[in-house]
Amino acid sequence: MTVQLRPEVQLHPEADLLLDYAAGSLSPALCVSVTAHLHFCDKCRAQDIALSEIGGDLLSSVGPEKMPENALEKVLLSLNSAEISDQAETIPIINEDMKKLPAFMSNIIAEPQFNFLTRSLKVAKIPIGENKYELALHKISAGGKTPKHDHRGLEVTVVLYGSFSDLDGTYNEGDFIIREPGDVHSPVATIDDECICLSVVEAPIRLVGPILRMINPFLSFSPV
Amino acid sequence: MTPLVNSSRDEWSELLTKVGNVQDKEAFSQLFGHFAPLIKGFLMKGAPFGYEQAEELAQEAMIKVWRKAGSFDEKKSSASTWIYTIARNCRIDWFRREARIKKDLKAEDLYDLVDENPAHSSLIQKRNQTTVRENLQVLPVEQLEVITKIYYEGKTHSEVAEELALPLGTVKSRIRLALKKMNIQLESLDVRVES
Repeated sequence: MTVQLRPEVQLHPEADLLLDYAAGSLSPALCVSVTAHLHFCDKCRAQDIALSEIGGDLLSSVGPEKMPENALEKVLLSLNSAEISDQAETIPIINEDMKKLPAFMSNIIAEPQFNFLTRSLKVAKIPIGENKYELALHKISAGGKTPKHDHRGLEVTVVLYGSFSDLDGTYNEGDFIIREPGDVHSPVATIDDECICLSVVEAPIRLVGPILRMINPFLSFSPV
Repeated sequence: MTPLVNSSRDEWSELLTKVGNVQDKEAFSQLFGHFAPLIKGFLMKGAPFGYEQAEELAQEAMIKVWRKAGSFDEKKSSASTWIYTIARNCRIDWFRREARIKKDLKAEDLYDLVDENPAHSSLIQKRNQTTVRENLQVLPVEQLEVITKIYYEGKTHSEVAEELALPLGTVKSRIRLALKKMNIQLESLDVRVES
């Protein structure tokens, strides 16, 4: 019996990023990008548990601070109303794009609104309530090429569906790609299927229009 | 009451499992008595929490523990680790509320506690909890300082670098050395630690 295995995830977040994630200090957009990677990567998922254990150990070894006398009583009273209310209601996913993505993505966005940036590249911005990083989904159509571009701030791309390649190699589902300012590349989706990526882009300091900003990480113009 | 950290079925995890399976309020009360003061203490170690906010958050976290206990799996993590992640998420939500972020997203949405893929379970087995704890104790002071600051205060390693007036590279290498010492083998460490 053959079991089809997906290619092993090759690119992982660095140790300090995983540590920040487990400690709860990552900005929401970066947090989502790490969660997306963990969805595909068993190894990093196990590391995250190990890093959370550090948190558990620090919690257990901290000096306890006395709670008020009636705290437990108050909490017990409120439990009655909280009883089963938190059982997750599963809302069926109807959006075709969302069906291709890890299920947790539907916590973040229900219905991505893709807009064309070029003939083969679309973007859907994901509002997440922060201004340091912008979160978006990028979709490259099958075999689609994107213009050469550079990177102005930190950019993280996680492949959620399909694959794409550039001069440095091919990136598959789960790969966590970090680009620093100055990196130049020109991604191309694989021939047979479209590619959907999650991207986190450090909000640029220099003034460019919102559309131009969202063109990253797959292309950018220099509007000088 | 001290849990037997050395056994794979520690006492707190058993109580938490009881809460999850049969909504056992007696078990919950015991967990509350142990963990609520710890959560409060943990939060107060990191600014900016005064005792009132820390108490409020500790109660909020314990209510979440009650609600979510059904998803606790003692084969995968210990009660203290699981409760830590709940408290951590409460703290993140508190920061978002303080920043008056309108976007209605909870930390647990960002972290995805649900295991969507049952195949993952085979790889993720509970580690020996004592290893991490013992190793935390043998870390050199400067490594321990960085690690505890990140966890207690919920700051990123670059924020910690700034606060301690250390170059980012120094903080990064302290983290790597600490993780190595604690025997936490990270995928990215093997490739990057040399650079």
